[in-house]
Amino acid sequence: MPSSTGLPNRVIPVLALAAFVLVWLLNLGVVQPNRIVAGAGYGLFGATGWLGAGIVSSLLFVAVVLATKPIRNRFWVLSFLLTAALMSLPLLLEVFALRKLPADSAYARIGIGAGFWCLAFFLALMLLETLSQLKASRRLQLSVVLLVAAGWWLCAAREGLSSLSLIREYANRADQFSQALTVHLSLSLGAVAISAVLAFGLALAMVRRERLRRPLLGLVSFMQTIPSLALFGLLIAPLGALSAAFPALQALGIRGIGWAPALLALIAYSLLPMVRNTYVALMEVPEPVVDAGRGMGMSERQVFLQVKLPLALPVIIEGVRITTIQAIGLTAVAALIGAGGFGTFIFQGLGQAAMDLVLLGALPTVFLALAADAILSALKFQETPR
Amino acid sequence: MRLWLTPVIWVAFLCALAALLPAMAPLFSWVEGGTDNLIYTRNSFYTLLQSHIWLVLASATMGTLVAVSAGIFVTRPAGCDFMPLVSQMASIGQTVPPVAVLALAVPAMGFGEKPTLFALILYGLLPILRNTLAGLGGINPAVLDSAKGMGMSSVQVLFKVELPLAGRVILAGIRTSVTINIATAAIGSTIGARTLGDPVIAGLVNGNTAYVLQGAILIGLLALATDSLFEALERTWARAFSARAHKA
Repeated sequence: MPSSTGLPNRVIPVLALAAFVLVWLLNLGVVQPNRIVAGAGYGLFGATGWLGAGIVSSLLFVAVVLATKPIRNRFWVLSFLLTAALMSLPLLLEVFALRKLPADSAYARIGIGAGFWCLAFFLALMLLETLSQLKASRRLQLSVVLLVAAGWWLCAAREGLSSLSLIREYANRADQFSQALTVHLSLSLGAVAISAVLAFGLALAMVRRERLRRPLLGLVSFMQTIPSLALFGLLIAPLGALSAAFPALQALGIRGIGWAPALLALIAYSLLPMVRNTYVALMEVPEPVVDAGRGMGMSERQVFLQVKLPLALPVIIEGVRITTIQAIGLTAVAALIGAGGFGTFIFQGLGQAAMDLVLLGALPTVFLALAADAILSALKFQETPR
Repeated sequence: MRLWLTPVIWVAFLCALAALLPAMAPLFSWVEGGTDNLIYTRNSFYTLLQSHIWLVLASATMGTLVAVSAGIFVTRPAGCDFMPLVSQMASIGQTVPPVAVLALAVPAMGFGEKPTLFALILYGLLPILRNTLAGLGGINPAVLDSAKGMGMSSVQVLFKVELPLAGRVILAGIRTSVTINIATAAIGSTIGARTLGDPVIAGLVNGNTAYVLQGAILIGLLALATDSLFEALERTWARAFSARAHKA
């Protein structure tokens, strides 16, 4: 259990120490002469000088002091401090670019080093711990996340960071980026929507006919066991044959590779969590509640729509949440069979050994998954009867 | 013993197919006419299968060790301060797609087997950690009290009561982790690990559906064989326990 607010907190000092050691040991940033060549790394002191190194180190020191001394409202101060620090973290890179980027070379760029990521990661963990010590409400947690995101957004838009290689990669393919976003979202959300409808029907059938339960659940969990790369691969031959046999399908864009096998596989994967949660949710509505509804003179239809469904909704939404997160990740893999989306950047970047292109694909994928998680968790919380 | 029949059949099927695929060229000329390269030959399927299994096995062992010890640590009085953070990390971490973890390992560690193994361990320990916490947390406090009342030391309580009771849930976590890692290891081919994903990726790059099929079939079989192994393992575990409970 979390220690009461009066006692010294042991978690934050450990995290701060880890952050301190890693940020001094690892490279904060890299100066690359061009896109592919691995550049020269700079540590915290080399990259940002006395000022930056001093600010970062003293921030961590202050955090340890605040966490261990019995100061009033220390966790509020700490959460304010950590939020501000996380928001302005990209400024470290801006200082680095000002100091170390050669002014005469048009292709030179700065890359983000492991030290920067570690610092960001541990600061985020410290913030997480502080917020849970404060027993922060969902609204407060969300506003902190939004504040940090806004800070990074503002920093990224500044002229000072235009030499950051990640931003250069983005600037080179801004059009492709927004297209990848559209494809990624429509594929994953489309699969979730289609499988939600299918799963609802299947779950209803299972509720009505107990006999169907074992074979149906067996089938969908069998599909979940097949690894994504294998399922994508296995769909190529049959869909290719179909499209060769029926030119009408080909005109629709249904081929062995592309969006069609991707969508099919995504739907197949989405069925298990969706069917299982919908079925469990509908079965777990307490019988007395249903009886009470009937006793009030409700028809079966009314009982289903006004009693069972609202009570089952939180668990169904949990199924949608798991499915959406999973579909966003699998859509990235689907880029291997030419489905588009952010996975295209990842695998292109891996092919060209251009690490920032990999980041340009991987970071938005992670961001989309986290955003879907936050939105659907909030929705589930709202629909939970209290 | 009947319990182990299904996994044995799956494993035998997998091994037989890995050995016999090269002899099935005529069958693959059906899907991929007009080329002589019908069978993936850069590595034997056995080599690929072996290194795929090695990657998954190594990551599962490491992941289990780390996750179970972390789970034990945060449920002891000494580490309980870390409990909220660790359980939040385990659930937030599982939101991150495995392919993104794999991709992000490359900028940090370069190409090859090492970053793949690292990503597999890192991602694979999350479900195990989560289930360890759930398993240890779900034990009835009265059981622990009576164990202490019998004069057991806290180490004895851990090894004789807590871990056996939480074992089934932890095993289910390992199963989830291994299922995810078999799939992620296959994608590891794109970052230079030698796995059964190689034929699939090579086939996709060269437009050779026969290669894709050979890789995909073996990966699918490996996943199904492993899953049925875990099924048998979980049942054996449950049976051993109910038997012991009956005797007592």
